[in-house]
Amino acid sequence: MRLKINSIATEVPDGLTVMEACRYAGVKIPSLCYLKDVSANASCGLCVVEVKGARNLLRSCVTRAAEGMEITTQSARIQSARKMNVELLLANHPDNCLTCDRNQHCELQTVAYEFGIRERRFPRTKPVSQVKDDTSFSLVRDPDKCILCGRCVAVCSEMQTVKAIDFAGRGLRSKISTFMEMGLGVVACTNCGQCALVCPTGAITEKDHVPAVWRAIHDPDKVVIVQTAPAVRVGIGEAMGMPYGSLVTGKMVAGLRRLGFSKVFDTDFAADLTIIEEGNELLHRLKNGGRLPMITSCSPGWIKFIEHFFPASLPHLSSCKSPQQMFGAIAKTYYAEKTNLDPRNMVVVSVMPCTAKKYEAQRPEMDGAFEYWKDKMKLDANDRFFDVDYVLTTRELGRMFQETGIDFIQLPEEEFDNPLGTSTGAAVIFGATGGVMEAALRTAYEVYTGQTLPDVNFKSIRGVQGIREAEIDLNGTPIRVAVAHTLANARKLLEEVEEGSSPYAFIEVMTCPGGCLGGGGQPIPTNQEIRRKRAESIYAEDAHKFIRKSHENPEIVYLYDHFLKEPLGDLSHHLLHTKYYERTFF
Amino acid sequence: MISVQILEDTVLDSIVEKYRGKPGNLLSALEEAQEANPLKFLPPETLAAVSRKMNIPLTQVYSVATFYSFFNLKPQGRHTIIVCRGTACHTKGSRALLNDVGHILGFQYDPGEGEPSFTTPDNEYTIRTVACFGQCAQSPVVSVDGVIHSYVNAQQLLKILRTLSHQKL
Repeated sequence: MRLKINSIATEVPDGLTVMEACRYAGVKIPSLCYLKDVSANASCGLCVVEVKGARNLLRSCVTRAAEGMEITTQSARIQSARKMNVELLLANHPDNCLTCDRNQHCELQTVAYEFGIRERRFPRTKPVSQVKDDTSFSLVRDPDKCILCGRCVAVCSEMQTVKAIDFAGRGLRSKISTFMEMGLGVVACTNCGQCALVCPTGAITEKDHVPAVWRAIHDPDKVVIVQTAPAVRVGIGEAMGMPYGSLVTGKMVAGLRRLGFSKVFDTDFAADLTIIEEGNELLHRLKNGGRLPMITSCSPGWIKFIEHFFPASLPHLSSCKSPQQMFGAIAKTYYAEKTNLDPRNMVVVSVMPCTAKKYEAQRPEMDGAFEYWKDKMKLDANDRFFDVDYVLTTRELGRMFQETGIDFIQLPEEEFDNPLGTSTGAAVIFGATGGVMEAALRTAYEVYTGQTLPDVNFKSIRGVQGIREAEIDLNGTPIRVAVAHTLANARKLLEEVEEGSSPYAFIEVMTCPGGCLGGGGQPIPTNQEIRRKRAESIYAEDAHKFIRKSHENPEIVYLYDHFLKEPLGDLSHHLLHTKYYERTFF
Repeated sequence: MISVQILEDTVLDSIVEKYRGKPGNLLSALEEAQEANPLKFLPPETLAAVSRKMNIPLTQVYSVATFYSFFNLKPQGRHTIIVCRGTACHTKGSRALLNDVGHILGFQYDPGEGEPSFTTPDNEYTIRTVACFGQCAQSPVVSVDGVIHSYVNAQQLLKILRTLSHQKL
């Protein structure tokens, strides 16, 4: 379609909005509420443009481009309208940018600066300050910083179908609220953090564990070890100013050592362990008529979702803990024994692309190591400790690097410590949607058939489609598998399960779009294009690994030989498997 | 102390059933549920039950219930007095009337709250404002238990309120 943008004749594809057409043509249009693939509710009024023949300014995010349209994106009228809309938002926005989590990464701050706003033009109109919602283990909402753009409501309701938050009230009292203001920690929130990822201001952020981690590192009596999730190595570079999707495993390890962690380990080790347990659990269910389809349990947002919304389907979940929790349990038992450490003096810190992991680590049942030591060391309830003590998001790790003035880009490449830092390509791909499935199939195939897999790449289950399926031939036994990412897609598969029409033996579910690499704890911005780049890096790391199947990880083999004895064995049952609970709506 | 009364499940069932499949059923159901409550309000338990029975997310029910000023989330007094704060009534002195109501019933009206609703501790009276009744020609107007009184002044107001109550105001 042909149209004119700022008097320049341009050709753009059909079916675009005016905003998309302008951006296609390389013309910048500001926006605080519109976000590609997320929301377009035309509330901020920053994207206004002039269209020849239209009397009023039009919001370009919701206006369809048409053949022959003459669009102007820069004029005194547009400039003053956009500026006033920002000034009106600022009337009720607090002034505490210097101490805000999103300082220098705030879209409102950016437009205010770019529009040349240097003073407050309008007085505050909202009657009272609202209290922070501090009820959740994962997220904090600060309604005073909210500009009512509706992005968080859109991701929560459309991408995740959770609907933990919505608009409430009217006029000056409009706000984003949970049911009866009960707070995210009380209502059916999955802690996925996609809301924090899309929020243009600091109104939704992760619960800050950085000060507690510093305290632990600086405590001479503590041995602080760190584990990093697969998706962090393709995200943390972005937080340190590198291009989207930069693969920075070695620099990340070097940086973590410089922060003062005693040992830098890898959640990938525990991901390999997860595969051994989960792969064997699947084979066990297949052989013994267990509940099928079996569904993966690595993604804590997904776990809380099924506990709230589909409790009847809980027996379908694999009983395996997530890699984060397996790591914590193994670190404070096996590794503590091996190195003669008192588990009470160990602090396990996770770096996760995820906000829900903060909640997961504090689930009451996640104290397998304490239960293991309780009798041996004669511990009482006051000694109780969790398997994982603190969880940092990728963003929080970025802030810790900044705090210490580490020049991340100049860091050398270093290797993880052993033994809990040894991993395979199968573990790396946990960070992408379809990765757990692929890793499990690499192992299940070889364990089931006793033969070597001809090609480790299961390309049919990679990709970005919301639901993907494949049929895998286990040497004469075909099994159908499916992969879903985002909870809206998971819901579709689960509805089939509840109807009894699900044709699958094994389903992988990831809460966030693209899998963990698109997680709620990843650097902002995160969008489809950035997720694609991170996924490329994940699969590149897999392809470069010498060992690509979990069961060939030598440290895992050693762990079973000398500690766990056998998959699904007694010790595994206590340390690596868990239970799920039916949850109400609040 | 007022004991909060929650609707019987069966009452709510019949209300929900009555509007099943009809457009705007959430509004109608909430309206009737509020009417059925002796304290003319929607307690959280009722909102949650409506959500469950109608299969509408809790947040959406809460969103609707907080959007419309018609819905009360707090127990209402036996008598409801609504003072119009529209432009016409304002110019005819409705703010003074609102203060008068406060003085007569013995509470301090707080204009900082924007859209105030106040219920006396004995649960006898609820005082609210409204943006406009559409009766501007007869301003200022005050609605008492659903009856709109026109050209209200301080003396009339006192008289109206006296008729509501046996106690001497």
